[in-house]
Amino acid sequence: MSTHIDKDQFEYYLSSLDELGEILIEADRIESVASGILRLTLGTIMASNGAIFVFDRENSMLSTLSTISVKEKFSSCILTPQFIKNIKDYQYGHLDYDGTLDWIDKDLKDYLDISNSKIIIPLFHKTKLLGVLSVGEKFMSEVFTDIDYKILEIISNHLTEALYNYELIKNVEEKKKELNIKLLELETLFDIGVAISSVLDVNELAEDVLFRAIGVLNASKGMFIRQNEQSPILDILSMFNWGDKKFLLSKKIDILQKINNGENGLILTDDHNTELQKKLKENNLLVVPLRAKDSLLGFMILCDKETRKGVENFNDLDLDILTSLSNQAAVAMDNAKLFKEITEAKQFNESILGSIATGVITINALGEIDSVNKAGENILRLGQEEILNNHYMFLFEKDSDVIEIITKTEQIKKIITEINIPFLTASQETIVNVSAAPRIDVNGNSEGLVIAIEDISDVSKVKNTFKRYVSKQVVDNLLEDDTKLNLGGEEREVTILFTDIRGFTSMSESMKPEEVVMTLNEYFSEMIDIVFKYNGTLDKIIGDELMVVFGAPLAAEDDTERALNTAIEMQNKIKELNNIRKKRKEKPVLVGAGINKGYVVSGNIGSRDMMDYTVIGDTVNLGSRLCSAAGPGEIIVSKEVTKNQDNQFKFEELVPINVKGKKDKINIFKVNY
Amino acid sequence: MSEFKLDIKEEGDVVIISTDGYLNNVGGEKIAEACYEKIDGGKNKFLLNLERSSVVNSIGVSILIEIIEKLQDSDGKLGYYNLAPIVEKTFTIMGLTKYSTVYPSEEEALAGMS
Repeated sequence: MSTHIDKDQFEYYLSSLDELGEILIEADRIESVASGILRLTLGTIMASNGAIFVFDRENSMLSTLSTISVKEKFSSCILTPQFIKNIKDYQYGHLDYDGTLDWIDKDLKDYLDISNSKIIIPLFHKTKLLGVLSVGEKFMSEVFTDIDYKILEIISNHLTEALYNYELIKNVEEKKKELNIKLLELETLFDIGVAISSVLDVNELAEDVLFRAIGVLNASKGMFIRQNEQSPILDILSMFNWGDKKFLLSKKIDILQKINNGENGLILTDDHNTELQKKLKENNLLVVPLRAKDSLLGFMILCDKETRKGVENFNDLDLDILTSLSNQAAVAMDNAKLFKEITEAKQFNESILGSIATGVITINALGEIDSVNKAGENILRLGQEEILNNHYMFLFEKDSDVIEIITKTEQIKKIITEINIPFLTASQETIVNVSAAPRIDVNGNSEGLVIAIEDISDVSKVKNTFKRYVSKQVVDNLLEDDTKLNLGGEEREVTILFTDIRGFTSMSESMKPEEVVMTLNEYFSEMIDIVFKYNGTLDKIIGDELMVVFGAPLAAEDDTERALNTAIEMQNKIKELNNIRKKRKEKPVLVGAGINKGYVVSGNIGSRDMMDYTVIGDTVNLGSRLCSAAGPGEIIVSKEVTKNQDNQFKFEELVPINVKGKKDKINIFKVNY
Repeated sequence: MSEFKLDIKEEGDVVIISTDGYLNNVGGEKIAEACYEKIDGGKNKFLLNLERSSVVNSIGVSILIEIIEKLQDSDGKLGYYNLAPIVEKTFTIMGLTKYSTVYPSEEEALAGMS
């Protein structure tokens, strides 16, 4: 071998080395570095072909990085420890390959043989094999010179350095990727933490958590399951990537039962043979509980951990991450459930408050109104915007009574009620009952007041309208159900009773005025008590005449029966009264009564200033005529009155009479009692 | 969610691939396969419409990185639009957005790719 080189060759080598430097500096990827170096190497030593292989120590895999003029396909092969041990002998030199070595792996040997390789240079960095450079025969079958070997040695050293750097960069990249994945896991945990405070819909939450868990753990599919308190069948709130599959999962399934009994999450693999795996037809599963405050709310199941090489088992770290996600999800679910319960309770309360007729106003510790129900707005005749946040001193400034009730309640912290007080905040006519009660929190601290305002103006109106005419029971009936009350004109069937003192005018002429008043008061007092006893409506008192209506303003099936009983009891009472009068040596009071039944127009009739509830019509007039026809102690009724009353009352038909305004004679009956 | 699907169309010299499904190993491979076929046919500008892929894992992202590397050989570009916030966040964290661009809409994406 000659070591002598001429000047041109020397310059050529120098320029090659110069180019090598450029390749190392300029090329940004190991593939381009390798192909540049290989091209330069082969060109410098005039070799026909060559290849650079890179060695993956973790997998003992030798794979092609770059080839030039190699027809044989070679992608990769596993290197045996024997090869690595033997090739190490050539760490600082080269191996002249002649095809006789028996420790070279078969795939590599086949490649080297076919590509007619002549030189093999192991690329060692210290003790680590990073790759292999193979060089084919020299052009024209010339022999490689010492200078060629030297050049190869120099280039190989640089190539080793480049591979070493490549490995370092690759490691850094791998670490960076791992760190990014860790960051993604942390971000996911953080995001779910944020979701706890922002997502209050359980279905939305389930999907969000499941999707994040699947993405971050590289699972191929998954499901988010909720326990159903009413059923052993579990609710699958969210499924991902199962296609159209539908599962019926029960909490009795082995693994889920185990978790229900307190077990933590589980990794299931091909080695397990559980009911859950059979149900889902999947072997690689990660199952974790959704547990909050020691109660099991559900499960999260992930399936098949993906890698570039296929599916692998989940590991303990995956279990830890999913457990952490599920713990946060469970807290969020619990929050969502609580929120739902609170919202429902609030709606329930609001609906109750909204439906009651009493105005309910809450006042906070500062004395400001913080809520008012619909009835409250109506009673105050103000909108929410005028009421809320207003201080009660301003809101009720016209009603010193109300302010006093509130102030006193604040002081003594006890419920105070005042009834029947005017409420000028609403209007001059408004009458209310007001109750104030302190609001006490769970710790017993006072945090404001609740004011209940009941508008009783209508009650007062009704009482004022009817109290003179009807019994308390009728008023109460009316107040219980105001739909029965129709104060406008309406046609209705009533029974009308008239009573009249016979000969009262002539009788009174011989009496002192105070005796007349006393007699009438005694008489009316007894009669009206009877009217009210039978729930009759005292329509009018005209002189000594009473007009009583049964069936207005409230109708009842026994209106006529009550009218008859009223008349009979009145006549009996008059007998008693006359016995007393007789003892007092007073003239007897003789009363005739007439009862008619028929249709009348009822309502508040009169002028705007003077209005009375009454009935008008022919039925009324005939009733009055019947009364006129009745002799002392008699009760005369029309035919209409006798209908369906035969069982209880005895009627005696009298001679029909002529009545003013009626063409035909009227059939009349006397009630025998 | 059913099988991963692709819809491929071309707008000028840009190949738009709309995906439907989980962008994981399977989804990523399908995208890569479609891209490589187009790259072999001379295309080097690709847009991914990820409107119907709201879940992505790191394997899917790795495959997208491989596509970007391949495109770098031919001075090509990869862009995305219609990304779910969680997907965009994953892309950012995994470093994908340093080598490829996220656009808010198809129009802006096409304008950005030209």
